[in-house]
Amino acid sequence: MLGVESLRRGRPGRPPRDGGRGAPAVTAPGAPLPLLVACLLIAGLALLPVAYLMVRAVGADVAALDLVLRPRTFQVAASTVALALLVGGGTIVVGVPLAWLTTRTDLPGRRLWAVLVAVPLAIPSYVIGFAFIAAFGPRGALQGMLAPLGVERLPSIGGLFGATLVLVLAAYPYVLLSTRAALLQTDPAAEEAARLLGDRRLTVFRRVTLPILIPAIAAGGLLAVLYALADFGAVSLLQFDSFSRAIYVQYRASFDRALAAILALMLIALTLLVTWGEGRLRRRAGAYAGPVRASRRPATVVPLGRWRWPALAFCSTVVLLALAIPTGTIAWWLVRGVSQGAILRFAADGALNSFTVGAAAAIGSVVLVVPVALLVARYPSRLATIIERATFTGYALPGIVIALAVVFIATSSVPLLYQTLALLVIAYAVRFLPQAVGSVRTALVGVGPRLEEAGRTLGDGPVRAFLQLTLPLLRPALVAGGALVFLTTVKELPMALLLGPIGFDTLATEIWGAASEGFYARAAAPAAILVALSAGTVALLLRAEERPR
Amino acid sequence: MSHVLVDVIPKALQRASAVRVAGLRRAYGSIVAVDGLDLDVRPGEMLSVLGPSGCGKTTLLRLIAGLEAPDAGMVEIGGRRVAGAGSAVPPERRRVGMVFQDFALFPHLSVRDNIAYGLRADPDRNVRVRELLELIDLVDAAARMPHQLSGGMQQRVALARALAPRPDVVLLDEPFSNLDAALRTQLRGDVREILRASATAAVFVTHDQDEALTLGDRVAVMVRGRIEQSDPPEVVYGEPATPFVATFVGIANLVRAELHGRVAITRFGSVRLVGPRAESAHGRALAVIRPEHLDVTEVPDGPADAGAWRVLGRRFTGAEILYEVIAPDGERLWVEAGHAVRRLRVGDLVSLHLRDVETVAFPIEHLGSEPSGPIGVASTATPSSPAEHAPPPGLTT
Repeated sequence: MLGVESLRRGRPGRPPRDGGRGAPAVTAPGAPLPLLVACLLIAGLALLPVAYLMVRAVGADVAALDLVLRPRTFQVAASTVALALLVGGGTIVVGVPLAWLTTRTDLPGRRLWAVLVAVPLAIPSYVIGFAFIAAFGPRGALQGMLAPLGVERLPSIGGLFGATLVLVLAAYPYVLLSTRAALLQTDPAAEEAARLLGDRRLTVFRRVTLPILIPAIAAGGLLAVLYALADFGAVSLLQFDSFSRAIYVQYRASFDRALAAILALMLIALTLLVTWGEGRLRRRAGAYAGPVRASRRPATVVPLGRWRWPALAFCSTVVLLALAIPTGTIAWWLVRGVSQGAILRFAADGALNSFTVGAAAAIGSVVLVVPVALLVARYPSRLATIIERATFTGYALPGIVIALAVVFIATSSVPLLYQTLALLVIAYAVRFLPQAVGSVRTALVGVGPRLEEAGRTLGDGPVRAFLQLTLPLLRPALVAGGALVFLTTVKELPMALLLGPIGFDTLATEIWGAASEGFYARAAAPAAILVALSAGTVALLLRAEERPR
Repeated sequence: MSHVLVDVIPKALQRASAVRVAGLRRAYGSIVAVDGLDLDVRPGEMLSVLGPSGCGKTTLLRLIAGLEAPDAGMVEIGGRRVAGAGSAVPPERRRVGMVFQDFALFPHLSVRDNIAYGLRADPDRNVRVRELLELIDLVDAAARMPHQLSGGMQQRVALARALAPRPDVVLLDEPFSNLDAALRTQLRGDVREILRASATAAVFVTHDQDEALTLGDRVAVMVRGRIEQSDPPEVVYGEPATPFVATFVGIANLVRAELHGRVAITRFGSVRLVGPRAESAHGRALAVIRPEHLDVTEVPDGPADAGAWRVLGRRFTGAEILYEVIAPDGERLWVEAGHAVRRLRVGDLVSLHLRDVETVAFPIEHLGSEPSGPIGVASTATPSSPAEHAPPPGLTT
């Protein structure tokens, strides 16, 4: 879910733009010490993995430098960059026309398409990857259907092509949503003004519409690049050696911590570079959007005419590849597996484990989010901003990197926690905390401190006033934030793989394990559950989008 | 009617109108936004179109600009037919400049590039841009981006951008509605001067009567898709053509009267009538009595005499105070008192005297067929905002 938060609420960590209502209470000019301490601890927890990797890298001896300069390292770096660029470009080619078609044209069934093309946003890459292997792989569904014709094995779909295809299908919604938002926020009067100044329709598109959209398109493309850099599930299933797979292989095969840590740091550097660029572009896109005023007219709808047929074909192809083939393949293997008496027990165990971890992580992050949101909303200061940013660092980095760092920290400092459920839950709660911060902070700014002040004048202590008056009003935001953390946790793969206790399988690890060993029927049931959950996630996100900001 | 006249006059003798609109009509489903509208804008003239929200003002501008197509009627710009009777010139070839309500500056272009946008192949492009930057006094801000400008600056850039290609007419859609009050007054003056300096005809629509009266060489009052009256500001105020215009522009009391040629007899005595409609009409009518037409004198305490009015409410406007007063027979009026008069309180008794003024009156039988006359307010004034009202007179004493 990397980046979705930034699509919805502007950049993480930007101080809230509240009016007078959220102004700090007169009675409490500075943050209470216990609150500050709690927030510092949470921020410290979030920063710990990155800090640990840094320390290790600095402490590494000269031999480590040799590792960086090895041909193998270059190869991995080059593969990763190539994949990232292809995914970035591919998502733009797919996402921008979809955004335009679903916002500005008379495409038949436009509203339905708008929902359908957004759904893949929540389907994890490894589910799409699994579906493609299980459909078109050497022993996939297609081969099964062709078997009567004597086809015993199809060529592999792995490698750069397969990885690019799957990641484009998984990540194009970032470009789609970013471009859609820009299209909806652009004042159509700018286009009318350009026409009155003498430009024809097509010229207006080239001179005004497109330039205004470019920052949003590019920012969406960079989110897709980040997705590709961070992805572990698809590249590992399709056996493409990008950084995250190389890190995992290195760690599993040789327990070579130094090399794994150095690869992880190189990945962090790449990620931070792209994040920085994305932030800059996002700010420019925000400046172009301008305020939405009541007097603004809706944009004129472009009649597609005969072009609606190619447009429909394009939308259908995307939905076919990103939605129909994955769900169809899963259904095909599910039916096949059940008819052959395959056991659904795995799925039940996995689902139970996933839900347990997800629920615990959701509760954990909701408990952690209240102090952070309270500090940022009620006592805005430089320190509060730094603390909020700190909580975002872990979230912005690839899961495999965080997982690796947590493994290192646990084995060297708290071996008692290593390979326990508690460690996994804590790691999730801290990592996905930022997903809940946005909604809770907004809700807190909306509630304002006056209620609590009224409670104080009626004899409540500060803690009691908060618990009795403010907290009940935050419940919808807490539930929404917690639900998002739950869904994200259930779908998460690399941390479950590296941090889960031995023999503890979640839905994600079951799919990944079964798919990488070729047991497609066994992966189908958990995959079906995850796809259903994904639909729930999209519904939740769309609802949050509709709410007034 | 008028275009028949124009047709017989030799082309050389007439200077084409900047904009001429005849029989223009545009409906959205069952809602008729512009309903058979006629309008004429002379070269170099500033015409303000004043009307309540939803009267079709913005649609009128968009029809002239070519951003909407009319259902019927025609539009001429600079003597050239651009819409109607089979012609439909697209907006980019109409030579019309427009200042949008939200300004609609191109967010990805600097101030300079925004102004230069319409000047594509012009060899004197840079000279023209410089000229306009000086005109709007933003030479130092030429390199800034729109989001770095204040609302007032954005407004001026939008105007310069519209003027740059030397259009035949500039259309301004509620140009000051997104600015705060203090800025508004200052920018009104600026915009007027800039338009004067460029000698470009301008049409701007507004729902603000102060704006319309101070900016327009002529004011066209629009209601329900038609123009009710189109005259210089002082004529629109002093000789309103319909009861709607009388009550919409400024505050007017419509007082029952008996017409005797150029004189109307009211309950305050007789008053002289002006204007083309002041003919030898006879019979019942409604005379327009403005608050400043009446002198207010306080009646000393004591038993209320038969002719006394009671103060019902008060509205302070700064320069003067408006009082709503009620007669024993229930007729209500708005009257004006300067600060010299002792401040009246709600419940005070006053007597009213008509000053030596000229006004207009509307024969009541005509009003029956008048499409827009607010007959329902026959004996009450309708100020544009409610005053502090006292309880009904029966309860005050």
